[in-house]
Amino acid sequence: MPPLKDAKLGAFTFFASALPHDVCGSNGLPLTPNSIKILGRFQILKTIVHPRLCQYVDISRGKHGKINFIMYRSSMKVLQLAFEVLQGLEYINRHHMVHRALSPHNILLDGEGHIKLSKFGLYYITDHGADVDFPIGYPSYLAPEVIPQGIVKPKDPTQHERPRPSGPKSDVWSLGVILFQLCVGRKLFQSLDIAEKLKFVLTLGCVDDIVTVLAEEHGCVEVIKNLPENVLTLLRKCLTYHPSKRPSAAELLSSNVFSAVSSGYVPFRQPASLFSSALRCADLDLPEDISRLCEDENNDFLGERSIEEVYYLWCLAGGDLEKELVSKGIIKSKPPVCTLPNLLLEDGESFGQGRDRSFLLDDTTVTLSLCQLLNRLKDVPGEAFYPLLGEDQSNVPHSGSNTELSTSTLPLIIRERDTEYQLNRIVLFDRLLKAYPYKKNLIWKEARVDIPPLLRGLTWAALLGVEGAIQEKYDATDKDTPIPTDRQIEVDIPRCHQYDELLSSPEGHAKFRRVLKAWVVSHPNLVYWQGLDSLCAPFLYLNFNNEALAYACMCAFIPKYLYNFFLKDNSHVIQEYLTVFSQMIAFHDPELSNHLNEIGFIPDLYAIPWFLTMFTHVFPLHKIFHLWDTLLLGNASFPFCIGVAILQQLRVRLLSNGFNECILLFSDLPEIDIERCVRESINLFCWTPKSATYRQHAQSPKTAGDCNGMNKPASGFTVDYQDSTKTDLGREIIQLSELKSEVSPRISAEDLIDLCELTVPSHGKMNIKKTKSSKPKLLVVDIRNSEDFNRGHIPGSINMPFGSAFTADGELVPGPASATLQSFKGKVIVSVGHVSSNSAEFAAHLVKLGYPRVCILDGGINKMKPTGLLTVPSPQI
Amino acid sequence: MKPGKGKAVYTERDFIYKFNAGSQSFNLTVPLHFPVQENLDHLHGRLMLLHDLPCFIEQDLKKSLCQFVEEETIKDFDREAEQALEAVRSGEVDAGTLANAWMKSYTETTLEHSRPEEPNWDEDFADIYHDLIHSPASETLLNLEHNYFVSISELLGERDVELKKLRERQGLEMDKVMQELGKSLSDQDVNSVAAQHFESQQILENKWSTELKQLSTIQKQEYQEWVIKLHQDLKNPNNSFISEEIKVQQSHLQESTESSRSLYEEHGQLEESFTIHLGAQLKTMHNLRLLRADMLDFCRHKRNHRSGVKLHRLQTALSLYSASLCGLVLLVDNRINSYSGIKRDFATVCQECTDFHFPQLQEQLDVVQQVVLYARAQRNQKVKHQQDTSSENEARDKVKSSERNQSNLLPGEFYVTRHSNLSECHVVFHLCVDDNVRSGNITARDPAIMGLRNILKVCCTHDITTINIPLLLVHEMSEEMTIPWCLKRAELVFKCVKGFMMEMVSWDGGVSRTVQFLVSQNISEEMFYQLSNMLPQIFRVSSTLTLTSKR
Repeated sequence: MPPLKDAKLGAFTFFASALPHDVCGSNGLPLTPNSIKILGRFQILKTIVHPRLCQYVDISRGKHGKINFIMYRSSMKVLQLAFEVLQGLEYINRHHMVHRALSPHNILLDGEGHIKLSKFGLYYITDHGADVDFPIGYPSYLAPEVIPQGIVKPKDPTQHERPRPSGPKSDVWSLGVILFQLCVGRKLFQSLDIAEKLKFVLTLGCVDDIVTVLAEEHGCVEVIKNLPENVLTLLRKCLTYHPSKRPSAAELLSSNVFSAVSSGYVPFRQPASLFSSALRCADLDLPEDISRLCEDENNDFLGERSIEEVYYLWCLAGGDLEKELVSKGIIKSKPPVCTLPNLLLEDGESFGQGRDRSFLLDDTTVTLSLCQLLNRLKDVPGEAFYPLLGEDQSNVPHSGSNTELSTSTLPLIIRERDTEYQLNRIVLFDRLLKAYPYKKNLIWKEARVDIPPLLRGLTWAALLGVEGAIQEKYDATDKDTPIPTDRQIEVDIPRCHQYDELLSSPEGHAKFRRVLKAWVVSHPNLVYWQGLDSLCAPFLYLNFNNEALAYACMCAFIPKYLYNFFLKDNSHVIQEYLTVFSQMIAFHDPELSNHLNEIGFIPDLYAIPWFLTMFTHVFPLHKIFHLWDTLLLGNASFPFCIGVAILQQLRVRLLSNGFNECILLFSDLPEIDIERCVRESINLFCWTPKSATYRQHAQSPKTAGDCNGMNKPASGFTVDYQDSTKTDLGREIIQLSELKSEVSPRISAEDLIDLCELTVPSHGKMNIKKTKSSKPKLLVVDIRNSEDFNRGHIPGSINMPFGSAFTADGELVPGPASATLQSFKGKVIVSVGHVSSNSAEFAAHLVKLGYPRVCILDGGINKMKPTGLLTVPSPQI
Repeated sequence: MKPGKGKAVYTERDFIYKFNAGSQSFNLTVPLHFPVQENLDHLHGRLMLLHDLPCFIEQDLKKSLCQFVEEETIKDFDREAEQALEAVRSGEVDAGTLANAWMKSYTETTLEHSRPEEPNWDEDFADIYHDLIHSPASETLLNLEHNYFVSISELLGERDVELKKLRERQGLEMDKVMQELGKSLSDQDVNSVAAQHFESQQILENKWSTELKQLSTIQKQEYQEWVIKLHQDLKNPNNSFISEEIKVQQSHLQESTESSRSLYEEHGQLEESFTIHLGAQLKTMHNLRLLRADMLDFCRHKRNHRSGVKLHRLQTALSLYSASLCGLVLLVDNRINSYSGIKRDFATVCQECTDFHFPQLQEQLDVVQQVVLYARAQRNQKVKHQQDTSSENEARDKVKSSERNQSNLLPGEFYVTRHSNLSECHVVFHLCVDDNVRSGNITARDPAIMGLRNILKVCCTHDITTINIPLLLVHEMSEEMTIPWCLKRAELVFKCVKGFMMEMVSWDGGVSRTVQFLVSQNISEEMFYQLSNMLPQIFRVSSTLTLTSKR
């Protein structure tokens, strides 16, 4: 992405043609509005970056199918001009695009006197003019073949044929006309009206020498005669009537007409992007003397940022495209009450509605003023644009300004709207991502603060650890051969997040199809389950122009969070997952758990789509983004906490309702406050012992070679329980039926030791650096009989023999032990016994009584015996 | 092929690639469809995979594949272009018509080539009015409007008195005549007296309606002139004339406010409001309201309620040229006039106050009548055209349409009138229904329901954010409309409207709307609450924010 430099933002707008009322496509769904189609096709233009082309930055869709564009624009000799234009044309031709609207006012000059073509994407995004009412191109510059091809005879209902697309050579003719005008210094056909112009162009087919005829027509034969030979040759070549004889842009570029100028230009190379397999620093060219880099005294720091960033910040700083266009008088809309139709027939055809003049094409491009943005950012120091990312990780560059520090405590929604804050974050993340994977740890650290929306796609990829030749891998995957899953995919895509303009465009559907098929084909042991489409949506949305990256992110995400969820027979995985989930509900919210169990509202009834799609099926995209920003930082058990957090938001309604109402409530989930949900799930996560969410079917630990030290984020928060090396104090595999019978989760002896902060003599490797405050307090309840207890027990534990702990009606038998238990209500309570069934039952009783955070020691006291940690109480006197 | 793509001509051509591996030479033949739609990188990857090609040819294969496709595509373009040019040269396609088609297209769609816009009085006035009503002058405007309203009311009062007198007199006369019937007078005489009475009534009514029309026209003209003058005066502030006038108007207002304070009673209106969320993932919020009221209550100015009138006037006036309009659905029969039933009532209400912005109702209806005839003509032409080209299938349809009166509406069709003088709405949809809506078994495909859908669609395209719908699709209740009938009908309309509202989200991107369902005044209170219980079951009512739930 090239820096902004002295370029300006320009905006331009047009109306897509309206669809006839109520026409359905062949699949029975309503047709996609033309403006959405255009929006989808537009996206690829953002990637067309070439020094000879203006860059397209963004597109937005206004009310009633109006489309606004942002284009980046800037402010010789004939041959050079021709050469540069041809360079641009050749580049867009290579991307299978045709300009079709080439004219002098679409050829702009940048600050260094080089040309930049604008509006080159219009013909492409409108599907060769089919999606708009107006013809694309300017009458004087239309090539002869365009005239019969490019229009459908209007008012002829029998003819449903669409105009034939024009070939790339039509641009060469337009260039010829422009060059001719430049040579003779006057406009062609100025005295003729449109129809006469076109008729005249068509008659040129019968003449031998078009250039001479044109010159005679305009009385400038002398000028033409005096032109240099190579210019004249170029003119003749461009203005060839028959397209088959007219050279293409590429042919012209290599012809000897340009032998004099072409040597001055270096061929353009696309800079390597972040995840490309090419060497990113291959083109890096440091001067001999590094200090010379510092000499460049330039205070326009914003000018060095990319156009995309500047536009993004412009929007944040209050830039409103539509308002800008309205104020410049480009968008003039009539009050709706004046444009009402008089009559509508039953099939919806309307009558008596005059043609609204504001729907006409206004070809002017408006320059957007950056004043407001510059004003906003005038106090941002230069250092903010170049944060230092030293080795010292404790010193994360907070660009220091007080405003930023105060902003960082505000809610996320506000931070995402704050111009200065976002500038700082974008600059920081941009630099960090450039240093990926070297700075991976720092990315993790910063992502925990927040992720700037502009760079979310790349940041997520970095968090997921995407690496390698992703594009090549994606290209090599067969996405075209029909597979049996096609039908299901075809059915699901038009139902997946279709409120979004990008994802509902035909282009979006095609990308969806390819990415999903690539995933299905490349994972032969897994199958397509409904929900995979929703899972794909956020990645595709964020990486719309980089399918390979979307695919790579999805491939990295699924094994991490949804390991084996997409097996053909996934019931054991899902069952285990849901059981652990219901244990988590009991662990965190016993009252809710009791109620739900009582009415038989088990997670199987509502939570499968939550987890199978990682909540992408339940929430709109903007909420998913915030949720996943945190989810991606957590480990595979974090989703449980999100699930519990969602339930807690619905708590009051769930508690007061019976089974049927609950089913109804979940069939159409009410609005969830996502920021609160994220906050609470983090809190829940911190309270959850790591081993409580152990799952037998989770992803097995990676082999040591897989994660070399640098890649591994150094935080207990993010490390999976499964990832840590297995010891004999870890959790053991238990049968699903057994797991299901237990209300409370089991925790491993390892966790218990860790939580009690006991030092294990034999296990020197235990991590005891943790500060005390970060750990939850806990109480160990020993339910063995007092004899066994006295023979040795865990330090700090209390003894409540199982047989005598509860009264007949399930209340705790009063006593000093139960008083202690009472006082620890709200802390983690671990029930320890000989046999797990007893301790499970004890835990279940406590849950019934509303004790939160009750868990069971896996393997009972026997697990603790070998550690030598058990103490014998001093005999009571 | 994608729908709507038309016929695209595909030709198949073989891409042949030769390469040597060791001493063996291979031939790879790939059939390609031109124009090539798929991504060449993907195709290349697939070829490598499918044919298990050695990696050393990878780059070369890619290059030659791209080159082949490029060359062939250019050849295709050239060939087609040559064909098109040849067609012009040979005269198969006339260059003149072609050029004219382009010209037409340019003049119709681009600002650069289109004819300059003729100044439009209505729109200029709309702009001026919109400016003024959003300025301090709005009060003056409303006062003026109110004064005009009062004088119309006075006129109407006079008319009513005179008509009443006439009727009384005629009644007396008729009584006398009836007493004489069979004595000195025959049936014929009675008839002639009755005819005479009727005639004189007609004459009187006509006289008054002419007078009313005249007054309205004068008022409208005065008003518009005054508004324009006010606007000009406000532009150059050193003119003090207007500010004085504002004061005068204000004092006048206060006086009248105090004098005309009287009791205002709500005649048994019942009302229940709901907030709903629609949509599976992205939810949009809408407001629903169930009301027991007369449809025309939204049009009528409540004469006795002085401050209330002004309040509604201000609200309605402010939003007149804005992007949040109010509309209501009126169910009418198939004739476009205002002679009977609700149409007549509505016309009466319209006359109560002069419309200063839009033509009078009758003028609008005349236009609609013209448009209907035009639309029918268009339709017939199209049908004929289709018949010529396609099968005789449409013949039946055509016969049907030619049988009936071309100027009448069909069920499900509706016409639209615009008003600035109604109390709470700007736009009225006159939806044509037939007697079928009284029967108990209409379905979601009924023309009336489809008409509702089209109305909601117009609401989307023209920023009508509040719409009043008669829930039971009738304005008056009758014997056959039993409780089960009502419940069934309400359920149908609720469900259909819900469906349409979900659809609307895809039309307008989720603008929040207010939909008001009206039921007739003579429905029982119990029935009303039954309906209001039904609504939240069909629409998912959004949850209330419970502040007490901490967790």
